[in-house]
Amino acid sequence: MFSSFLRILKFSVQDISRNIWLSVITVTILILAMFSINTLILTKTISASAIDAIKNKINISLYLTSNASEAEIFYLKDKVMAMDRVKDVKYVSKQEALDSFRANNENNEEILQALTELGQNPLSPSLIISPKNADEVADLIEELKVLDSEIIESRDFADNSLILERINNITNRINDIAIIIIAVFIITSLLVIYNSIKVAIYTHKKEIEIMRLVGASNVFIHAPYLISSLVYTLVASLIIIGITFPLLSIAQPYLEVFFVGYNINVVKYFYSNFLLIFGLQFLSIAIINMVASYLAVRKYSKI
Amino acid sequence: MIKLINVNKAYKNKIKVLDDVNINIEAGEFVSIVGQSGAGKTTLVRILIGEELVSSGQVFVGDWDITKIGQSEVPFLRRQIGVIFQDFKLLPKKTLRENVAFALEVCGKNKVKIEKTVDSVMKIVGLYNKMDRYPHEVSGGEKQRTAIARALVHQPKILLADEPTGNLDAINANDVIDLLLKINNFGTTVILVTHNREIVNNLKKRVITMEDGRIINDQQHGKYII
Repeated sequence: MFSSFLRILKFSVQDISRNIWLSVITVTILILAMFSINTLILTKTISASAIDAIKNKINISLYLTSNASEAEIFYLKDKVMAMDRVKDVKYVSKQEALDSFRANNENNEEILQALTELGQNPLSPSLIISPKNADEVADLIEELKVLDSEIIESRDFADNSLILERINNITNRINDIAIIIIAVFIITSLLVIYNSIKVAIYTHKKEIEIMRLVGASNVFIHAPYLISSLVYTLVASLIIIGITFPLLSIAQPYLEVFFVGYNINVVKYFYSNFLLIFGLQFLSIAIINMVASYLAVRKYSKI
Repeated sequence: MIKLINVNKAYKNKIKVLDDVNINIEAGEFVSIVGQSGAGKTTLVRILIGEELVSSGQVFVGDWDITKIGQSEVPFLRRQIGVIFQDFKLLPKKTLRENVAFALEVCGKNKVKIEKTVDSVMKIVGLYNKMDRYPHEVSGGEKQRTAIARALVHQPKILLADEPTGNLDAINANDVIDLLLKINNFGTTVILVTHNREIVNNLKKRVITMEDGRIINDQQHGKYII
């Protein structure tokens, strides 16, 4: 049994090494297919991270009356914080609002002068509310609209709703298109892989016929090609892993500059999803290769 | 040894390639099957090695009715019948030794047995000194002798030779026929399918003549009559 297994391994190694150019071409096709799939994953990761970052920047301001006491404000803050859809609530006092306003307009002399002429702080204290889930902001706004509190001065959230709706529309559109592109790409890649293995097996048509003629059992006919398919997949997977991480490391600083403030780290993403990305690719391509190999060998070894 | 009883073979287009064929070949016989192209000779060979199924009738190899053979039994049948073909069917990327050993390796034989058997059959066919050459490095006759060596490794009781001299010059063809006679003298039943009138007439052995899928003549010490 063990010697038969070793012999099958030997046939497989001979098959790969004595048809080295065919093996190199098959592995290259697998690498190109996997590279395409990984590029798509990368693009999807970047777009998803960017969209998440934009969504995380969404917050809702609840403007309060100028004469509201801090006790009333903190009571309201706790009440808002207790809502299911709220992730965080930050209290911005009148003075903090003024400091922030001054800082934002430090180059605008006219506005700063107008503030000085007013002689008092015209800004209201506010609660800055961060939603737990950007997709539920509309529902949160509806809850805030009916929130019972006398210190709320302004409940006008119309602009936020509009922006959110647009972001959600764009996100959904991008997701729909991405899913179609990824599906087309993956199907194309798998068909290319399937075909390249069938072509590789076709070149062994004569060998398979001879195996059959000299009385080889089905296991002996099929197993070496199944192992060769596995070896091609394994080599291609190792090479693609070897290529992907250096390329991601090179791309990462450029992505950070391009998406400044969005906290996009593709190297970290590929590391933390290593098994899912490369394991799944290896598994699915190995299965496709082995099915292609089995069907092609069966075709040439039929009675 | 081999018995065909009322064997018919027709393809899907209903063209009959074998029509009520009855043959009885005894152990140790040397039989030539002759006939023009399309007479049904190759179909007969394919049926005997389990590559084709009959439409009706019975085919016995020993006591084994191979018309009822299952897929999993085909490899075992092929180990009992050695076959050689006009185009040698050698693997170009294996040496002559590897080509012969291959037939034993794929059947799971152990290394020592393989080495011993391969050395022995390569001596019989006279290629012991050229074992490590590749097929493209030897002549047509040597390729056919290698194919014969491969067919012999299972020590088959029957050796089927389908046009074995078709690609060879007269000298190499005679060498191959001499080798087949030598193998027959060891007790192996040899069935030679050929077009070669001169070879058949020189053999002076049993000749079965086929035409349009039927046996039209079966003579001991026969001649090529078409």
